[in-house]
Amino acid sequence: MTLLLWLATLPCLYWTQGADSAPSLKAAGIERVCVPPARGEEWRKAGFAPVALGEADLAVRDALLPPGIKARADRASATRSPWVDANGWRFLRHPDGQYVYDDLPAGRAALAAAEAYAYGADAVLKIDPADLESLGRMMTFLVRLPANELPDVADLAVVDDGSGPLGEVLNLLVRRNLFFRTVKAPDPSFRLNVKLGTREYPMKEAGEPSALALKIRRQLTDEARTLRIFGSEAVIARVTGDAARLRLHLLNYGGRDIEGLRIRIRGERPGGEAHMAGTGRVALQERTVIDGGTEFTLPRLGSYGVVDVPPVK
Amino acid sequence: MDRRSFVRLMAAAPFVPAVPDEAAPKLRIVTSYPPAARPGMPGPHPGRVIAVKSEKCVDTVTSAANAAVVREMMTRGMCALTGDRTAPEAWRRFFVPADVVGLKVNCGGHPWVVSAYEIVAEVIRQLMGVGIPPTQIYIYERFQNQMDTVNYAPHVPEGVQIVAAETANRRADNRGYDPATYVEADLFGEEDTRSNMMRLVSQRLTKIINIPNVKDHGATGATGCLKNIAYGSFSNVARTHHNGKSHTLSFVGTLASVEPLRSRTVLQIMDGLRGVWHAGPFAHTRRYVFYPKKIFFGTDPVAIDRLLLDIIDEKRKAEGAISIYDRSPRYLKVDDGAARDADPNVNIIIREPGHVEYAAKLGLGVADLAQIKVQDIEV
Repeated sequence: MTLLLWLATLPCLYWTQGADSAPSLKAAGIERVCVPPARGEEWRKAGFAPVALGEADLAVRDALLPPGIKARADRASATRSPWVDANGWRFLRHPDGQYVYDDLPAGRAALAAAEAYAYGADAVLKIDPADLESLGRMMTFLVRLPANELPDVADLAVVDDGSGPLGEVLNLLVRRNLFFRTVKAPDPSFRLNVKLGTREYPMKEAGEPSALALKIRRQLTDEARTLRIFGSEAVIARVTGDAARLRLHLLNYGGRDIEGLRIRIRGERPGGEAHMAGTGRVALQERTVIDGGTEFTLPRLGSYGVVDVPPVK
Repeated sequence: MDRRSFVRLMAAAPFVPAVPDEAAPKLRIVTSYPPAARPGMPGPHPGRVIAVKSEKCVDTVTSAANAAVVREMMTRGMCALTGDRTAPEAWRRFFVPADVVGLKVNCGGHPWVVSAYEIVAEVIRQLMGVGIPPTQIYIYERFQNQMDTVNYAPHVPEGVQIVAAETANRRADNRGYDPATYVEADLFGEEDTRSNMMRLVSQRLTKIINIPNVKDHGATGATGCLKNIAYGSFSNVARTHHNGKSHTLSFVGTLASVEPLRSRTVLQIMDGLRGVWHAGPFAHTRRYVFYPKKIFFGTDPVAIDRLLLDIIDEKRKAEGAISIYDRSPRYLKVDDGAARDADPNVNIIIREPGHVEYAAKLGLGVADLAQIKVQDIEV
């Protein structure tokens, strides 16, 4: 893949300022920029290869939530079960969709970029200019990650009827790190197929998506899950892989670094390495194989990190 | 370390829960540490409690403790517990110079009810008298910010280690916990189903002295020896109680029973100079502070906590507050901490004082009052 094509897979910073701000973008390490069509020429002259994006282009993109955690005194607890705003389910449901992170509050740009990258989403970022530096660091990290385009790993199938209620169920499945594949009809290759409106999953259960996600988790059982995360309730993973390898994308929505995150992957896996935003390449610590799974500790997780692991022995 | 894994599946089968229609959660203990020949809990004195009282130990106007009186109470308590004539002899029953000793204090009741400086200082003085250097003595808690607030450093000799597992209660720092020693349970559908033991406990300390306070607790009914050593030595424990429901009935004792915590916790010294009879485990206001003016000694955490339940319940009764055993929804305002703080007849969770009896069923001590022998001493 050429560098240009590779860059095109990254989320694009939407930047309305004139090309006189080019030095600050370059200093931050931003290489890909989307600009209003009227500013295209000046940005080209400034040495960028801008993507022209007009208001109409932006308007057709689906708006995303600013990723992060929210204080919800009535529904969530900061230390027990934080309320996480995440967009993974949208990307998984419509992988060919076009998205925009509209007016991201300060402090969210890097996580938004990582989130879009982790799911391979076509996303535009409208950021607070104060985040330029942190976004630049994240983009630099993403560009340097070893290429690894693998299909999603799924532990269950969900029959997607396209409905809004199912969307919220998918959201809760993502937030609980329950990896699914959306299908048009039940897939016999999965032990668990979720189809709303059936006797097992009555439509009324979609009204309590969190409870339904928990029911699905317990049907699947924790032992049968591809991945478990210990040490945080604010980390959401996407797992991709094939017979040869596995890549874990780990997104930390908690807003602060997590020290000593413990990961468990099903199956005995002989090694692996991690690439952490802000830290770089790190070894997996305190690795052990126990009860049919491989466990290791990541010393520190900022907004985003990936772990590449070899195949099951 | 050899990866010999002692895995036990536990359910509440041997115990009749207070609410029979609620299934007790399955708790899975994972540890590679075998028990000692005689585990520290209940230790050599099951069912035995020494209760030393002194009217002069604390000034109820200023809330200041009298260090000299506390020292005398400590001497009398330890000697009575072991049957020795002098304090050094008594302390040598439990410790040798090579020991690395942890003092599990309680800082959650700052500013009014925390493990008293005077008791902590006297414990350290006696340990040093045994020949243990200060660098082998650790005062520990889970949260560094609480330790910083209470600040034991000016009250103890230089070199004593003051450590915590996490910077604060933010669930962002797991480095201080042992990833291979934990209790696993899915209580409310939480994603992180593990509570890990502090590395300090599993990998550094050889002995532990538990120094809890006399406190009311919204989820357990009261918090003393068992909860202080259990919830103060493991991660991710706040998950056991919310939305009005508490799984502390079985969780407290189960955590305390995990090796090596159970074997290494050899001495219980419950600080009852001051206490909290409502809105615990916190003591943000002096409104609910009271003064039992006692220190309890023993090796059996269950026996001491069984007495504690009565102390808290009787004080509440005297203040016209509902019993810690009250399970009526009438008094329940789920997770409404402000209402609980304002009114002693508000529960935010159904309390589980039965956790003490449950711990007895796990072999941690004696909960039957008829079998508990209390020796009262007046100083």
